[in-house]
Amino acid sequence: MTQAEIKLCSLLLQEHFGEIVEKIGVHLIRTGSQPLRVIAHDTGTSLDQVKKALCVLIQHNLVIYQVHKRGVVEYEAQCSRVLRMLRYPRYIYTAKTLYSDTGELIVEELLLNGKMAMSAVVKKVADRLTETMEDGKTMDYAEVSNTFVRLADTHFVQRCPLVPATENSDPGPPPPAPTLVISEKDMYLVPKLSLIGKGKRRRSSDEDATGEPKAKRPKHTTDNKEPIPDDGIYWQANLDRFHQHFRDQGIVSAVANRMDQFTFQTQTSSEIVRTMLRMSEITTSSSAPFTQPLSSNEIFRSLPVGYNISKQVLDQYLTLLADDPLEFVGKSGDSGGGMYVINLHKALGSLATATLESVIQERFGSRCARIFRLVLQKKHLEQKQVEDFAMIPAKEAKDMLYKMLSENFISLQEIPKTPDHAPSRTFYLYTVNILSAARMLLHRCYKSVANLIERRQFETKENKRLLEKSQRVEAIIASMQATGAEEAQLQEIEEMITAPERQQLETLKRNVNKLDACEIQVVETIFLLESYIESTVKRQ
Amino acid sequence: MASRGGGRGRGRGQLTFSMEAVGIGKGDALPPPTLQPSPLFPPLEFHPVPLPSGEEGEYVLALKQELRGAMRQLPYFIRPAVPKRDVERYSDKYQMSGPIDNAIDWNPDWRRLPRELKIRVRKLQKERTTILLPKRPPKTTEDKDETIQKLETLEKKEEEVTSEEDEEKEEEEEKEEEEEEEYDEEEHEEVKGTSFHSQAPFLPRISSGDLNFRRLEGQRR
Repeated sequence: MTQAEIKLCSLLLQEHFGEIVEKIGVHLIRTGSQPLRVIAHDTGTSLDQVKKALCVLIQHNLVIYQVHKRGVVEYEAQCSRVLRMLRYPRYIYTAKTLYSDTGELIVEELLLNGKMAMSAVVKKVADRLTETMEDGKTMDYAEVSNTFVRLADTHFVQRCPLVPATENSDPGPPPPAPTLVISEKDMYLVPKLSLIGKGKRRRSSDEDATGEPKAKRPKHTTDNKEPIPDDGIYWQANLDRFHQHFRDQGIVSAVANRMDQFTFQTQTSSEIVRTMLRMSEITTSSSAPFTQPLSSNEIFRSLPVGYNISKQVLDQYLTLLADDPLEFVGKSGDSGGGMYVINLHKALGSLATATLESVIQERFGSRCARIFRLVLQKKHLEQKQVEDFAMIPAKEAKDMLYKMLSENFISLQEIPKTPDHAPSRTFYLYTVNILSAARMLLHRCYKSVANLIERRQFETKENKRLLEKSQRVEAIIASMQATGAEEAQLQEIEEMITAPERQQLETLKRNVNKLDACEIQVVETIFLLESYIESTVKRQ
Repeated sequence: MASRGGGRGRGRGQLTFSMEAVGIGKGDALPPPTLQPSPLFPPLEFHPVPLPSGEEGEYVLALKQELRGAMRQLPYFIRPAVPKRDVERYSDKYQMSGPIDNAIDWNPDWRRLPRELKIRVRKLQKERTTILLPKRPPKTTEDKDETIQKLETLEKKEEEVTSEEDEEKEEEEEKEEEEEEEYDEEEHEEVKGTSFHSQAPFLPRISSGDLNFRRLEGQRR
């Protein structure tokens, strides 16, 4: 784990779980797998605190444990999983676009709580939805269950590994830690639950009206504790499936940008590619270099309803896509009207390259970008050749090349003419290595996100006093409005915050929003680069 | 300054390659030498592209900020314990500053976690019963035997009860408000005064963890 990644993990853990969890988490990321007592000793925190922190981390799938010989349990942190926390808003938004508010809330609950039982999720989501609905309406459990089942069927949520059922004839003491197992086919199996009920609205007036003496309340809650029907079956969000969806989205929008700009039809080519990707969702694993071959007839049948293009037009589009130099779509055979595949690996490569080009263009200018594209295309170029091909004066070309070289976007390849590698008798060729440039850019992205988070925390801390004051004033105004105060009184309270203070608050809000939006942008770039690097590394 | 190719280490200012190969011809003006580290925020030649705005961008932004706030309120956010002040104050008894004695606010499924991670609050009760017994000798022997037997049977009963209700009690307690705790405390303090009254001076004034024990006591009777 690089220093930048560790720093980013530390900031994320601190923001979401507090300092104690952060200390333990970062220590585990730095030092690898360790048992409980060693963690407590090395970090200097009390054993109880370490236990609490580990429970939280394990609940959120950030730390896993393993039983080693002699009964020692070792804990290991998963740095990449911690970094996924950056994308939580995007996961939730995706669920919203696909399954509307119900889906959004289900995924949100699962992400915030790490893992939950289905009945608990359904109940909580129904309650939350009921809160937002108008008076008198409640959310039925059945509807929420249906959405949950749909999420499970499309693999967006999956079961957590289960504790193996121990038979009674098991001799000896129970193991220090359970080994959790799950089989492939059980992962998306929804238990048969009959969840009947409606969401409850949390109204404070109701509770007062019941008139039960407060001392009796503890007994009342214990009476409601029935055994949960799906005890022991926990669900978690399947992040890989979301990543697959993001990748598909990226490919479709790339095709749309490239091919659909100049056609008068509404985005036909991107629709075709989207259909192909949808058909291969379940059949292709997420790390495959290309999808299963699909015949043109199948694609024609699976096009969305209402898209009436004739078979011939579809064939023309497919040929066009297959001939495109970007090679997103490839032709793998002629049966069934032509078998087409989508080259996932190449698509990711193109996306990563486009990201690099865009970064260079925005940082160094369009002429630099031209040189970069040139070197990319021709693979290896000497300095003189660069100047000639790019049609840029020598001095400027040199300057730009060295700037890019110093930032490691371009690298030098030495080809010696003589065995003693004399510099005057060696060729120095400029070349672009996409993988290493992508890694370098990814590292910079991690650093920028860490900087953005730190700056946001700094800004908030600077104005802490003002923020607290404004919160207090808002609370006072809200309570006064509830009890029905006059306009003049409200006006007076509002004036407690002076105009320059209001100005300051506005500036703070604008800055924090901007920093947050930047973070979201950088996280999208991180996703693209990470997917490309992962896909390339797997192929090697 | 630059010699052509040749001079390896002979004479100062002689480089191992020809400056022309690199591209700096003779008589060209070189950039001025840098005498200080580069500025922290160098002026940007090209301004960054504006951020995406629009419904989607704003929704995701609002969602992000909401998530941040929500996670701070969840029981998974562990705040470091408030440092103990110099003198014990009366208000400490009635202000719940943190979870009871390092117990967890939420209920993980203990079957899925390694056994060593389970924090038991029962430590308090066990400590208490051991403190009690040595104080028995001052009383008469008959009383002593009786009360020891009583203690043991009640302890057994309590163990059965607490192993099931322990976590539920913890859960309930966290949900209750301060006033309720005060009320219960007072109620139990008045009701006390039976054979266990000698316990009162030995009650460790730690925190509202005591309430756990006291309420159980009330139930025992």
